[in-house]
Amino acid sequence: MTKAEGSGQASDPFETWRQLYDANERAWSAALEQAMGQPEFGEASGKLLETMLAAQKSVRGNMRTYLETMNVPTREDIAGLGELVVGLEEKIDQIADRLDAIERALRTRPAKKAG
Amino acid sequence: MTATARPVPDPASLWSSNDRAIEMARAILGSVDAPVGLTPKELIWRKNKARLYRYVRTEPATHRTPIFLVLPLINRAYILDLRPGASFVEFLLSQGFDVFLIDWGTPGDEDRGLDITTLVTRYLPRAAKAIQRATGRDEMTVLGYCIGGVLASCFAALHPAVTRNLVLLTAPLDFSDAGQFGRMTARGRFPVERLTDTFPTVPAQIPDIGSKLLNPIASYVGTYVRLWEKLGDPTFDVSGWQAMYRWVNDSVPFASAAFRQWIVEFYQENRLARDILEMDGQPVRLSAIRCPVLNIAASRDQIAPRATTSIVTGRVGSSDASEILIEGGHVGIVIGRSASQNLWPRVGAWLSAHD
Repeated sequence: MTKAEGSGQASDPFETWRQLYDANERAWSAALEQAMGQPEFGEASGKLLETMLAAQKSVRGNMRTYLETMNVPTREDIAGLGELVVGLEEKIDQIADRLDAIERALRTRPAKKAG
Repeated sequence: MTATARPVPDPASLWSSNDRAIEMARAILGSVDAPVGLTPKELIWRKNKARLYRYVRTEPATHRTPIFLVLPLINRAYILDLRPGASFVEFLLSQGFDVFLIDWGTPGDEDRGLDITTLVTRYLPRAAKAIQRATGRDEMTVLGYCIGGVLASCFAALHPAVTRNLVLLTAPLDFSDAGQFGRMTARGRFPVERLTDTFPTVPAQIPDIGSKLLNPIASYVGTYVRLWEKLGDPTFDVSGWQAMYRWVNDSVPFASAAFRQWIVEFYQENRLARDILEMDGQPVRLSAIRCPVLNIAASRDQIAPRATTSIVTGRVGSSDASEILIEGGHVGIVIGRSASQNLWPRVGAWLSAHD
């Protein structure tokens, strides 16, 4: 390595970052893997998620109350309409399935003799 | 007084580093619009957000049995058609197959009640019927990737007359030892009921963070360190990296009923492997799969660890069940140079032999 290259690398923050990563990645990953493999990690992350969900639920509930007070449709109202359309589509599919089954049955039934 | 001379940074090195940092930012920010899923296709069936596509062939198919690709629920479907030259779909078309793909789309709040049972018993059979109508063939090869493989297995068990072959790509079927994901989602620790009660669709970030936590240093730092390194290589294909980066960060939300069923019935209760899974009152048994089966697994898969993918060949009722074990990770074995040179030709040969 020339002197210029050496001084250039030392001054390059990205190169330093890369060298730091290459030198430590395995050790960091192993430590994290070990830490996350502990049952305590699962419990702690579960509790954290539960707390965040409680906050989220509260925000959603307050927003719903506010929108209802303002006579503005909520997400639930719009989703309800969507559910009706999806349900209707399923009913049409069921009718189409029945028609298919009738068609198949008619095709396989032996034709009646005339007279 | 004497001053010690400090090393002066090499300006050329600083500028080249600066240029590379700008290139890196452009590569990352530009990935949002990276062209993906470019193989021409036509829509032949739709239901709610699900779309069934048939890939356009310039010449008639040379194989009789159409291929029905069943994709995962939490990832975008274009992973199997990432970009020209790195597309499993493109490969299958070049081998003379008629290829269909179901894209589950993005669920909305109105899909909170959409569960896996509904997808297996209401969506897949109708999509299969659309394939039958389009091709005039009663049977097809069902190929499922990841969670799509689980759906494909359930479908194959319930519809043996339609499934000529079953191909599973890194599909976790046995959750008795599901690795880190299994520990994260264990009963009593993971608040699945509260999560699905709060959100009509589980935000894509939650499963995404779960996946990245399997290897956090590599996911959150390594990706960018490697990009930095590769940008120094004049032969580096930035657009290929962008397509993959786009897919990795382009997850879709999980309909909450489907997510609850996935975590409770598969991860926590392991119903499929324990032969206690029921869908719409019908038992779903691996032993009911009697068609030829090809199970493709990855040796270093952290999302579907080897223990979750290894039971398939021993549990299906088929006398023709084989396995390909590839050195690599969950996504790497499906896409990339080694996939196109190693896995795809082997899958193509198996499919041709089972046409």
